[in-house]
Formats: sequence, C-alpha cells, structure tokens
Amino acid sequence: MQSWRGKSLWLALSASWLLVLLRVFPLLRLAVPARPWASAPQGWPRWLDTELLPSFSQPGELPEDAPQPPQAPRGGGCDWGACFDASKCRTGGLKVFVHPVAGPISAAHRKILASIESSHYHTASPEEACLLLFLSLEVPAGECSPVPQQWNGGRNHLVLDLHPAPCPQTFQRGRAMVAKASPTVDTFRPGFDVALPLLPEAHPLRGGAPGQLRQHSPHPGVPLLALAEERGGWRTAGTDPSACPWDGRCEQNRGPEQTHPGGTLPNATFCLIPGHRPDALHFLQALQAGCIPVLLSPRWELPFSEVIDWTKAAIVADERLPFQVLAALQEMPLTRVLALRQQTQFLWDAYFSSVEKVMHTTLEIIQDRIFGASAHASLLWNSPPGALLALPTFSTSPSDFPFYHLQRGSHPVGRFSALIWVGAPGQPPLKLIQAVAGSQNCAQILVLWSSEKPPPSRWPETAVPLTVMDGQRKVSDRFFPHRAISTDAILSLDGHSSVTTSEVDFAFLVWQSFPERMVGFLTWNHFWDEAQGGWGYTAERANEFSMVLTSAAFYHRYYHTLFTHSLPKALRTLADETPTCVDILMNFLVAAVTKLPPIKVPYGKQHFEATPPLVPGGPEPQPTARDCINQMAAGFGYMPLVSSRLRLDPVLFKDPVSVLRKKYRSLEKP
Amino acid sequence: MGQVCLEREEEAACVIMCASVKYNIRGPALIPRMKSKHRIYYITLFSIVLLGLIATGMFQFWPHSIESSSDWSVEKRSVRDVPVARLPADSPIPERGDLSCRMHTCFDVYRCGFNPKNKIKVYIYSLKKYVDDFGVPVSNTISREYNELLTAISDSDYYTDDISRACLFVPSIDVLNQNTLRIKETAQALAQLSRWDRGTNHLLFNMLPGGPPDYNTALDVPRDRALLAGGGFSTWTYRQGYDVSIPVYSPLSAEVDLPEKRPGPRRYFLLSSQMAIHPEYREDLEALQAGHGEAVLVLDKCTNLSEGVLSVRRRCHKHQVFDYPQVLQEATFCVVLRGARLGQAVLSDVLRAGCVPVVIADSYVLPFSEVLDWKRASVVVPEEKMSEAYSILQSIPQRQIEEMQRQARWFWEAYFQSIKAIALATLQIINDRIYPYAALSYEEWNDPPTVKRGSVSNPLFLPLIPPQSQGFTAIVLTYDRVESLFRVITEVSKVPSLSKLLVVWNNQNKNPPEDSLWPKIRVPLKVVRTAENKLSNRFFPYDEIETEAVLAIDDDIIMLTSDELQFGYEVWREFPDRLVGYPGRLHLWDHEMNKWKYESEWTNEVSMVLTGAAFYHKYFNYLYTYKMPGDIKNWVDAHMNCEDIAMNFLVANVTGKAVIKVTPRKKFKCPECTAIDGLSLDQTHMVERSECINKFASVFGTMPLKVVEHRADPVLYKDDFPEKLKSFPNIGSL
Repeated sequence: MQSWRGKSLWLALSASWLLVLLRVFPLLRLAVPARPWASAPQGWPRWLDTELLPSFSQPGELPEDAPQPPQAPRGGGCDWGACFDASKCRTGGLKVFVHPVAGPISAAHRKILASIESSHYHTASPEEACLLLFLSLEVPAGECSPVPQQWNGGRNHLVLDLHPAPCPQTFQRGRAMVAKASPTVDTFRPGFDVALPLLPEAHPLRGGAPGQLRQHSPHPGVPLLALAEERGGWRTAGTDPSACPWDGRCEQNRGPEQTHPGGTLPNATFCLIPGHRPDALHFLQALQAGCIPVLLSPRWELPFSEVIDWTKAAIVADERLPFQVLAALQEMPLTRVLALRQQTQFLWDAYFSSVEKVMHTTLEIIQDRIFGASAHASLLWNSPPGALLALPTFSTSPSDFPFYHLQRGSHPVGRFSALIWVGAPGQPPLKLIQAVAGSQNCAQILVLWSSEKPPPSRWPETAVPLTVMDGQRKVSDRFFPHRAISTDAILSLDGHSSVTTSEVDFAFLVWQSFPERMVGFLTWNHFWDEAQGGWGYTAERANEFSMVLTSAAFYHRYYHTLFTHSLPKALRTLADETPTCVDILMNFLVAAVTKLPPIKVPYGKQHFEATPPLVPGGPEPQPTARDCINQMAAGFGYMPLVSSRLRLDPVLFKDPVSVLRKKYRSLEKP
Repeated sequence: MGQVCLEREEEAACVIMCASVKYNIRGPALIPRMKSKHRIYYITLFSIVLLGLIATGMFQFWPHSIESSSDWSVEKRSVRDVPVARLPADSPIPERGDLSCRMHTCFDVYRCGFNPKNKIKVYIYSLKKYVDDFGVPVSNTISREYNELLTAISDSDYYTDDISRACLFVPSIDVLNQNTLRIKETAQALAQLSRWDRGTNHLLFNMLPGGPPDYNTALDVPRDRALLAGGGFSTWTYRQGYDVSIPVYSPLSAEVDLPEKRPGPRRYFLLSSQMAIHPEYREDLEALQAGHGEAVLVLDKCTNLSEGVLSVRRRCHKHQVFDYPQVLQEATFCVVLRGARLGQAVLSDVLRAGCVPVVIADSYVLPFSEVLDWKRASVVVPEEKMSEAYSILQSIPQRQIEEMQRQARWFWEAYFQSIKAIALATLQIINDRIYPYAALSYEEWNDPPTVKRGSVSNPLFLPLIPPQSQGFTAIVLTYDRVESLFRVITEVSKVPSLSKLLVVWNNQNKNPPEDSLWPKIRVPLKVVRTAENKLSNRFFPYDEIETEAVLAIDDDIIMLTSDELQFGYEVWREFPDRLVGYPGRLHLWDHEMNKWKYESEWTNEVSMVLTGAAFYHKYFNYLYTYKMPGDIKNWVDAHMNCEDIAMNFLVANVTGKAVIKVTPRKKFKCPECTAIDGLSLDQTHMVERSECINKFASVFGTMPLKVVEHRADPVLYKDDFPEKLKSFPNIGSL
C-alpha cells in the first residue's frame, strides 16, 4: 500500500511535470528570440500587409469631387474677396476719401486726418475713392457714432477705431473693415481687419522720436528683464531665475530691482509683457527702447501682423511655462538677441514712431491686398528700410532695389547711365560728354534739355548711345524716373559740371560697394545754428560733410522713383521754386532711407574755382536757400542728415610710391 | 513580447499556487481519515495533478489571450489581426468642437514642460478595430496614407512610446477621409482613448472633410478640444493659431515620375485641368479660352476613351487627349478651382509641375499658411473676378513669374511631396508654437535652398552709428616684451576715445610686472592672465570689454600716431559691422598652382587688414571664440599664425562685406625688433599665409573675402588746405 502509493505518487508527479514541460518549452523557445526586440522602444508597427491597405481616397474621388453650386458668403462673415470691391481701385490705385467728421474732434484725431490728407492716397471726392475712411469718434459709453452717408452697408469702408469701441460690434462693422488698436484675437478677421498699435495720446504726427538703441549689442550690466507693471511703469529684475518674476508668486525673493514710473522707457534686454489688452501700450514702449518684447499669451492681435513678421522682433511665449521661458531667455544665443534687438528698432522707426507712419502703413497694407501678386514681398516689409520706403510699383523683384543685395546674394547690375541736366544757359556740355563717354563703365548718356533755347541738332560722336530728352523746365524733373534709364546706377551731372574719366571710373567702383548710398565729389555740411535757432548748411570745405551735390553724383535709379512718387508734393514744389533746394531734398531723402551719410570720393581741385554754379551763391548760401533746409526738416519732421568724416580714396592715393604701381594716377594730378 | 509572456506565466503560476493554498486549507475536510503523515503525500499528489490539469487547460485557451492582451506587433503584424474594440451604443460622444480654442486656452502646455531640446514628444495610440454593438466596423481600420503618416511620426525625433511623457497624442483612428467613416461612432471611439480628456493635446489628421450635400470645410466628427490638421479649411472653420491647414495629398506624387522642369515661358499661359468643375465655372473658363485663343487651355474628362485606360491620368480638349499630370508642365499658370471641397489634390500636382497655381476658392485657407508665404508661389483670384484672371496674370512681370515657378516647385518638394513631408511640417508648426523662441524663421520655411546658400544675413544689419562718447577698448596681446608693451600702452593712452585698456598676458611662466611699474594712464588698465599661450586669446570675448568697439593691437605697434588711431575709431563708427585696419593685404588666385595666394605687395586692391592693429565690433570676438567653423581655431593655435586671416574670413563671411583699410599705412615697421620679426619678410612666411588662405577657404566652402580698391582717409587728407584746420593732421606715413 505504502509502495503503491509512493509509486503512483511519483508517476503522477512525473506525468504532470512532463505535461508542464511539454507545454512550456515551446512557449519559452518562442519567447526567447523576441526578447531583444521587446526591450527596444516600440514604434508604430510595420504591417505585413502595408501594400494591401486601401488608399484614403478612391481613385476617382480625389479629382472628381462632386460639383457644388457657388456659395454666397455666409451671413456676418466677411473676407477680402467677398466684401471688398477692388475694381474701383484698379484704375487709379488706392484713393482714400475721409468722411467729414461732425462735431469736435480730439487732437489725436486731428493728427490722423492730417496724416491722411497729406498723403498721396488722399482724394477729396467720394466718387473717385475706392476706400472710404470713417473715423469712429469717442462717444459716451453705449452709444455709437452715427453712420455716415454713403455707408452702403460698409462696403469698401475702413472704420478707424483707435479706442476700444463701447458700442455693439455688429452694427458698426457690416462689410466694413475695422482698423482698431490692439483688437482682441477673437473678433479680429485676419486678412480683412487691420490691427493697429495702441498709440499714446501725445504720439507725434511726423518724424517721431528715434529708437533708443545706441548700440547693437546689449550693454554689459544691463538687467536681463524688465517687467511691465500694471500702473504703466517698468520694474527691472535681476537675472536670478529662482526669483520667478511674475504672477507675484515669488514676491519675497526679488533680488535687486528697481521700479520706474510710467512714461520712462525700460532699460533691459528683454521686456516681459503680460497678455492682457491694457498692456498693449507697454509693447510700443519696449519696441522704442530696443527692449525685446516677451509677450505672455497676448489676447490681442499684434499690430500690422498681416505683414510684419513679429517672430523676428518679439517672443510670444506661453504664460503657463514661466521657467521654461526664463531659461530660454537666459540661454538665448547672442546672435539671436542681437537680431531681435535690431529688429525692434527697425520696426519702430519704419512703422510706429509717428501717427503718419502708422496711418500710411495701414493704407499700404490695404493697397497690398489690392495689388495682389505685385504687392510688397515679405522681405520688403521686414528688413530695412521697410515697406513705406520700398515701393512695389518700382519692381516686384527685391534684387532691383539697392537694399537687398546681401540677402538675395545679388549685385547691382551693369554699368551706369549718365544723366546730364542742361539748364538755363543752354550750352551743350561737349567736354563733359567726352569725359563721361570715355569711361569703360558708361552704358548710355542721357541729356535732359531743360533750357529755353532749342537743343543743337548735332551732337558729338560718342562710343555710347546718346539720347536727348526734352525736359519740363522744372528742377525736380531731374529726378523723374525716365523710362530711358536702363541701368541701376545713375551718374547725375549738371551741364556745368566738370569731371574726368578716371574720377568717374573710381566713383562708380566705390558706388558698387555702396549701392544704397549717394557717392559724390562735392560736399556740403549742415549744422545747428544757435544764433538763428535753426538749421544751416555750408559749402565751405570742412572736416565733415553730410550732403553730396547732385550735380555730380552716383546713386541708384530707385531714388528717382522714390523722389517722384513718395515725397510729399509740397516739398517737391519747394524744390522747384528754389533750385538749390533740390540737392538738399535729394540728400534728405536718401539719408532718411539709409540713415547713413553719403560718400565722398576725391575730386581734382582745379574744378572748384572753375565752376561757380556748383556752389550756389558762393560759400555762404543765400537766405532763401537757408530757409530751405529748415522747411525740409519741418516737412520730414526731423533732421535725417548724418555727417561723415572720411573720404574714400584709391588704395595708393598720393602715396610716395612709384606712380607705375597706381591704377588711378590721374586722380592725383594737380 | 517574450518578456511580457514570461511575466504572464509567473503570474499564472502564482494564481495556481494560490489556488492550491486554498485547497490546502480545505484539505482536511475532504480527507479527514488520513494520517497526517500520508496526508501530505496526497495533498502534494493532488495538487500536482491539479496543476498539470490546470496548466493543460490554461494552455488550451492561453494563445488567444496572449495575442489580445500583450503586444501583438511581433509575430503576426497584419492589420487584420488588430484587437477589436466594441463600442456600446450609449458610450459618450465628445462635444462638437470649440471654435474659440486657442493654444493658450485649449492646449495643455504643462504636458510639454519636460520635453528636452525644445522638441515636443508625440505619442501614437496603438491600432484597434472599432466595431459597434452589432459587430459592424466603424470605419476602415487604417488607410495606406494614414499608416504612412503614423510611420513617419514614429520614425521622427518627435516620437515617444511613453504615454506619460507625451505632449501631443495622435489617435490611430483614421479620419483622413470623412466619407469612409461613421461620424457618431468615430467620435465615440475618440472619446474612449485612454488620455482623451476632452481631446486636449490630441491631433487629428483629415484631408477630405465634409460630405454631401453641403460639404463642411472641417471634419464633422465631434472632437471637442482636439487640434485638427485639416485639408480644405475655410476662414470660417479654421481656428487661427490652433488648427493647422494641410494639403490634400495627391496619390500621383508617388505614382508618377515627373522630372523637374526649369522655370520659364511655357506653351500655355493658363491651364485648367480639373474634371469636376461646376458648370457655371466651366462656362467662365471657356469664355476665357474663347477670348484668348491658344494661350488658355481648358481640359475636361475624356468621354471616348477605350476600356482599360486610366481615366484619372487622361484629360481631353475636344478630341485631343493629354496626359495628366504631364500636361501641367506645359503651362505657366494652372487653375486650382474650388470643387465641392475647398482643398484640392490638384494643387499638389500643379506645384510639382512648377506651374504657378491660380487659386480660385474664396475663403480657402491655403496649406501651412501659418508659415508659408503663398504670395511668393501662387496667385489668389476671387471667384467673382474669375473673368479678369487673364488680365491679372498678364500684369505679372516675367521675372516674377519665374521666381514663383521656382518657389512652387520648392514648396512641393519640401512640404507636399509625401505624406511624411506633410506630417513633419504639421508637427514642426505645432512645435514652433509651443517653443516660439526656438521656432524656424520665415526664411527657413520659405527660402529655397539656392537662395539660402547665396544670401547673407548681416548680424549687425541695423544702420546705426554708435555714439563717439562710448569709445573703444584696446586689447594688447603680449608675451614678455614688457618694454615695448609699456610704450604701446603709453602711445595708445593718448588717443582721446580710448576708454579702457586690456592687457592679455599670454605667458604662463612669467608673472606680469608689478602694479607700480605699469605706466600711469588716464583710463582703467586691466591685466588678464591666460591659461595657455594661444593666439586665439586675443579674440576672446572678455567680460572686461564694455564698449562695442575693440582695438586689437600687438605689443610692438608703436608707430601708429594718435590721430591715426582716433581716425580709425571714427571710421569704425561709420562701418561698425566691418574690420577697420591699417595695412591691407590681398588674396589672389594663382592660375599656375590652381590655388589661392597671399599677397603683401603694395597693390591697388585690398581684401584683408592685419589685426596687429584693427578696430572691430566685440561681437566678432564671440563669433571667433564660439562659432568659428571647422577646426580653424585649433589650426591657428597649433600653427601660431594666421589668426588675423581667420578673423578676416569670419567677418567677411558673416557680413558679406569688405574690410575698410584706413590711412596710407602699408606695414608695421618695428625699428627695434629685428631678428624675430624679420619673419614677415621671410619667404616661408608667405607660403604659410597662402597655406592658411587655402585651408580656410576649404573649411568655409567658399572664398568669402571681398576685394575693394578704396581706403578711407580724412575728408581733407592731402588737400590744399591749412594743416592746422584739419581734424587729423598727423595721419602717419606708409
């Protein structure tokens, strides 16, 4: 019994073990080879039957969408294609009529009106206009300003709304576009409405305060962060990330910091601005100060976001990730910091520093929509000198402008065109033509005959084509974008000027290095005249200069377009009345665009005495000419001229080395 | 799987053991008469037999449970075998979708808080087959394209298999085409996902939204807060800054081989290739064709094709048959007209052919419009203005058209050509929103590689003339020539605009002279000791440099006059983004040797300045130390030479501008030091310098140096003018 029991026990035991082993071993074998695979991170599986999977659309389905009748725009919604009738703008470009405002208007509104009326968009007749502008006035809460006549459901209207509208939105808008200061993201219609900056009351009409940035890189020791305070000021904070500087969460550990009252500009590398709408005013301050705005989940649409690439000038971060944002700011590479800082300044100067710029930018955006394919390229909006100074009517290709050669990897094309203006005495400038035609780089000579006397019928034989054009007896005609000009470079000359071939050659070579500047031979310098309380200028030889005379200067042909199509008419008229003004005006224009001085190249001294008209009225300019510079400064709203203390000479200029080494030896002849 | 399987087995064993323990407890009641001695044998026997039986029974059923509960992807990776999930009819449905959603309201960024390297982490739910109560599937399990899309995400850096670390969740429920799914049940399936949480941080991909008759422009599946990457958004349904507008993928991208065609004028000016166009629009198009003859071609479906020919790949005009998409390459502009849906796959085909799309679809949000600048690659014409399309297109200059053709092709290559490209661009856009400080720039998104290669973005692009009051910091690199060093310090301290003097003591074996021995000067003087005698130390961005302008000067440059240095500083102010130096040097191409050559002869041209005395922006110190390409820095330190050439290369490469040489100075003549400094006359020296130029040019991959023929002199330099009235009368000699 005992042994049977024992035997049966062992039998059962071994049988069951056998069973277990038989079932388990194959499983184990199966499991082992898969082990390394299992420990690797598991991605999306590679299906055996990938090839057999059906396509997401049946072959016929994609191109064969069942047709559907055209849809009318849905109620309430508006976009550019549906609600704006651009056909009226095709013929005359963007013409703006401003609805007359009833009742008293504030100073801020007056500035807006003035800036539009002085622009070339303005028209006095509503029939001619393709955009009707309606100024939404400040009214008691709950009321709405009355709808003007010819409202037409708001079609082709732009409602300017500089203050948060107290009246219900639905009535006002209709099919009208709304240009509003810091609109909330929820009601903003991208591509249709325009987001304006929130301007302070005292924003200047023209010119405006320049950006505060004096140097490219942050000054060492400047705090990393400034924080926008609720009351309007700024608080600078130390660089310690542990003192998390907003939400008041870590109040006790603020470290060294200062509070600045409202109105002062922040002095820090980054400016932290919370995303609530009242903080929008801080945004502009930071921009002006060159303090990189760090916007925490802004609830408002950034100004002109349709065209301005704000990622180049500001950082929009999520307020819920404070430590990541702080760490990112601290670790931000210097190269990025530099680029952001500079971009804030460029944007401030180009689009925000005056009411006029803000308004013109608004209209330019609408004009771009009308232009469609021939609008400003993004590069033109987002790099100096900015879209207001780079007219798309000149060219749609950035390489044609003098400003973008670096970004495009291009060069100014070809040789130069000599444009000789012949004024009153009407003497054909034969010697000058020979000197210029002798240059290898001269592509054509254009004579702009502006004398009462008829031009001679015979002109000297030259190696390059010579064209005589009949001028309009107006000085500003010199800077008209004549169709005949075929090269990027223009050598502007006066019938009286006298230059030699090698002077021209060297100057052209220098211009190719600086295609956005004017390169000239004779210079003037401006100065602040304490006694007169105004600007003055002198033609006397000095250690500095800020203008080159256009009676002999190289510049890009784009400036002819800019001179004719973007300058206010009043300034051009002034130049026509006082011919010496035209030089000042051109220099103002180029300096306002480049923010840099012109370039002087060597000029043989014998010419100084030989050509009195080059220096109008002798060393001291006439009183009328003197007024001119002040009127120009008033017209621009500031003094754009910049002085330079250098002259660019050939590398071996007047060096005591063998004359045989020198390429421009004739420049040195007395 | 193996491991999982083993673990399961242990678990099972445990269950059996527990069972046997239970039995053990009951044991005495069943066999009470046994002696305790034998009882243990019986119990063991019984439990072993039982174990054997249970194990056998278990194994009968286990294989099924293995496949359904553990990862099924190892063995039979077939889509047909994915687990089935049953959706009860009353399971919850998400809200319809919140139109006011923005990243800062509906997206949970906290989940992205710990993603390293500013890269979001994306989790993909495993594939399941959803069926309703009756076992009828909710949709096709997965389409080829959606599988490709998930594979692309899984292969990318964004992917994580750790659901708890993920910031973005991608369901494996395929909603690419709304027509292939059941809306309510799909929504229920979404709501069942383990981390659904009202759809927060979930991303759905949909290319064909809406269905007959009214074809909504966004996916109709209720999805609450989930982000939608949709093809065919209109401005009414698109949540700006939240949704992502994606292209409708064209299967022809993979099926047809279409080599790139160079931009330029083509046979047809305007082409319409779509087949299903609303009759009204077709009338408009045909009117265009009638008005402009050969230049406009309007194609339609072929009606008379023989059987077996792929009608998708053929288009007809009257009796003429054209191959599609090849015919698109014959046209300059191609119409992309709204069909029932706004998004059209034809857009992809058109871009690929380098044909400029003329988009006639009011309110259509173009693909990736958040980052892509469509103005550069397309023309948008309002539907109302269709009849004017021809004249609108005619007004575009040829050069711009070619630019647009190039851009169109580049958009296709980068963002349209494969499902992978579409998926990764979508994730990149979302990534850019979450980490805006690390976002790709406009240029990175939009500039084709050829433009990127040629363009230079000057780091100091703002035209700014720094105030003179700031002055400059002079950095003198010295080893042990104390006497000469002191003379340099004395001379430089006479320059009015000097604001600080920094001596970099490069000799580790010798201490700098005592404080009392140094010359007394009017500006702060600091001595920095270096850890190693390296030439690069001269270009280190020391914290002590507070001004933007830096004057690098050797400890033996005593011949420069105060006027000369002050003038150099003034010139730098006008050109703060350039190297401003005194003696100029030139690089030349040696046609015999076929390589670059260093030239120190007195030529009419310059392309470099020596940094024995040169002004530059301190930012270039940062670039030299941290951003110098390749091994140039080490090469310079190893050869103890050419640090100035390296600096010239660096500045010219990053700014795209030439140096400015000031004043007539041609060489740094050092009367006292003869023996060692006779070096510069040495032939081997010239060979070495040429060697450097060739080495650097190969590292930079290009020759960045720019040659100019001008130098800067004071305005009245050598003019016939009283010397005492000149600002810089003593400008020095050669």
